[in-house]
Amino acid sequence: MANNITSESKQLATWYFTFAAIIFGAQLLFGLVAAIQYVMPGFLFEIIDFSVARMIHINALVVWMVFAMFGSVYWLLPDETGIETVGIKLGKLLFWIFAAAIVVVVLVYLLVQVGPADETTIWFINEGREYIEAPRWADFGIVVVALGFVANLFLTGMKGQRSGIVTVLMADMIAFSGLYLCGMFFTDNISMDQYWWWWVIHLWVEATWEVFVGALAAYGLITIIGAHRKVVEMWLWIEVAMLFGSGILGLGHHYFWIGTPEYWWEIGALFSALEPLPLVAMFIHVLYDWGKTQGQEMGEGHIDEDHVKSVVTNKPAFTWFVLNAFGNFLGAGIWGFFHTLPQVNLYTHGTQFTSAHGHLAFFGAYATILLGMMYLAIQGSNGIKVLKHTKASIWAVSLITSGVVGMTVALTIAGYVQVLVSRAQMGATWAAYFDGQSGMWFAQAMDWRLVMGAVTFLGFLFLIKDFLSTGKNPVHER
Amino acid sequence: MAKKSVWSDNRFWQRSAAWITGFASVLLIWLTFDSMGQISMGTDADLQSGVTKRVPAPTVINYKITYEMDTKRGHEVPVIGEKEKFFGRDDWSEEEAASLLHLGKLGSQAKNCMNCHTLLGNGAYYAPDLTKAWLDPAWGPTGSMQAMTGKNTKEEAMAEFLQHPSTYPTHARMMPNLGITAEEAKGLVAFLKHMSSIDTNGFPRNFGRMQGAVNGK
Amino acid sequence: MFEPFVDVVPSFFGWLNQGPLTLTIFLHTVIVLPMIWIYKQEKARLEQEG
Repeated sequence: MANNITSESKQLATWYFTFAAIIFGAQLLFGLVAAIQYVMPGFLFEIIDFSVARMIHINALVVWMVFAMFGSVYWLLPDETGIETVGIKLGKLLFWIFAAAIVVVVLVYLLVQVGPADETTIWFINEGREYIEAPRWADFGIVVVALGFVANLFLTGMKGQRSGIVTVLMADMIAFSGLYLCGMFFTDNISMDQYWWWWVIHLWVEATWEVFVGALAAYGLITIIGAHRKVVEMWLWIEVAMLFGSGILGLGHHYFWIGTPEYWWEIGALFSALEPLPLVAMFIHVLYDWGKTQGQEMGEGHIDEDHVKSVVTNKPAFTWFVLNAFGNFLGAGIWGFFHTLPQVNLYTHGTQFTSAHGHLAFFGAYATILLGMMYLAIQGSNGIKVLKHTKASIWAVSLITSGVVGMTVALTIAGYVQVLVSRAQMGATWAAYFDGQSGMWFAQAMDWRLVMGAVTFLGFLFLIKDFLSTGKNPVHER
Repeated sequence: MAKKSVWSDNRFWQRSAAWITGFASVLLIWLTFDSMGQISMGTDADLQSGVTKRVPAPTVINYKITYEMDTKRGHEVPVIGEKEKFFGRDDWSEEEAASLLHLGKLGSQAKNCMNCHTLLGNGAYYAPDLTKAWLDPAWGPTGSMQAMTGKNTKEEAMAEFLQHPSTYPTHARMMPNLGITAEEAKGLVAFLKHMSSIDTNGFPRNFGRMQGAVNGK
Repeated sequence: MFEPFVDVVPSFFGWLNQGPLTLTIFLHTVIVLPMIWIYKQEKARLEQEG
């Protein structure tokens, strides 16, 4: 690969994308292990327990997305600023440090798993805090890597021409990196612990990551369908205003039940209730711009509907971008809104409902657009003018999407059983919990989740096949 | 020439985005200062003089904790009652209780509890929520879990279970052996008892109300 | 509509939280209102440029 790339920044981006795709596979694999354990509890018992499989499942999720995000920035920087990324040598060095650290962390998760109840475990094995389990030594490594990345972005943005997209990314990435520091301390007070833990988790996925996606969507619309930059950037600013306006104080919906004061009920409920609005805006924006540029193309002399040229220069990437617009709204917006009001959340908090939302939201909001960025990189690396769908790319999109949607539906049903039986009816005790888990509806939902997980994995295999082969495929316009 | 509308002007939206983001951040920081004050741990003196704190001092392990409906607030709240023995003592000093809680909190992270259980409702959904586990009737004097471990007190039963979880299966889905030592188990039980005393605004609702109910009947 | 505040510890935000939506309407208003001022400034600028 990479033979058609003259920019070193773009070359580095392909490294990031490659590593991200591998980790994506690991995420799915360990997700399957955890899903099997719901159906067959004895599977790998005391070898790779659910806690280990699940920890790797969600850590791999965060890591591959961060890698793909860094890759996306390195990919778009030369296009947006008109210059080669500053400090690219440092960027390449940091890539290897980052990748090596991740491999070590995962091996320790797998082989050591747990440690004694003292500081050495927190420093060297795992921190035991969902999503940010990485041990403290790795935390410092991540901070160094993030600082280097932000420095590259800022120096390039200040030296080259700074577009609206780059300005948004600069502000967003510094917040993204800074927030990680909130998860790097130990306290005996579990309420305090979770208060700051949510600063990292929520302000990442419901604020800074969403704005990042807005910037990527803007870049994608300009590069894939040739949308008008001025219009795209206006939408981007509206999205930033709405995303941060609702997302920052929407943090309150995690502060209903962790010991924090009652005023968070109102703040959390009503700010986070607005969180779907920018996602609707993004959805409308993407489809509107598509229709508009296609309409202009038709207006310019190609009257005949049948012979009009599509404005889409990268079919698979654009498919993933449109799925992003839809999935973000559905997974993050609708599935999130379902249980964001405290009256509902009192019963849904900590059930499979959250898990259903998590699956569709992470997929719809982030996985889709990052896979789209990978297709842009494949197009660029192979010097392709118009990248078309192949059989494999269509199978990949269809299987992954229907797999994730299927898992979401199954988990939502399981969540209802848990909410009604374990929570509302039985009162949330140990016995109540297992009463809910033993119900037929719950058990069957878990069977379906496993089936749909396998479908997703099959789709992933097609995706990898397409990633590896589509560049050489003669169907594309070169 | 037609005038350009402010609504389609990039600068207007850029400035609005900057204002909204900045102001929301300032509000969040202000709210955080307020919340920090409210969720910092109380002291032993607070407990002795009956001052209610959202997160009580570690010495709360010397007291009996119940979960009762507060009609004014419209939901259940933990109530700290008279003295109660914890591992045979009700005179754990501030330092002793604090170091026990420290051990327990470290243990909860080192053993990765959160990737099967939920704590304060956050974590994984493979095993029961532990927020009010201390108050679960199953561990009480007439509870099935206490009977199963053959111990005479709630804390000893819990500590026994934590050290040998797969000896006492309650479901096909079992807790694995995590190499928890006797001392660590003691710390973890203290951590659980302390967590049950945190004012969680009524979460979980109706906890332990359905005593003796079988299969939802 | 106005109910007494029942939170454990009195605070400024708890005091604003006097019933359905009072706190959040207040916060949303102070966030959105200054946009009128930004709007007016930008309108003036556009008129000057035009």
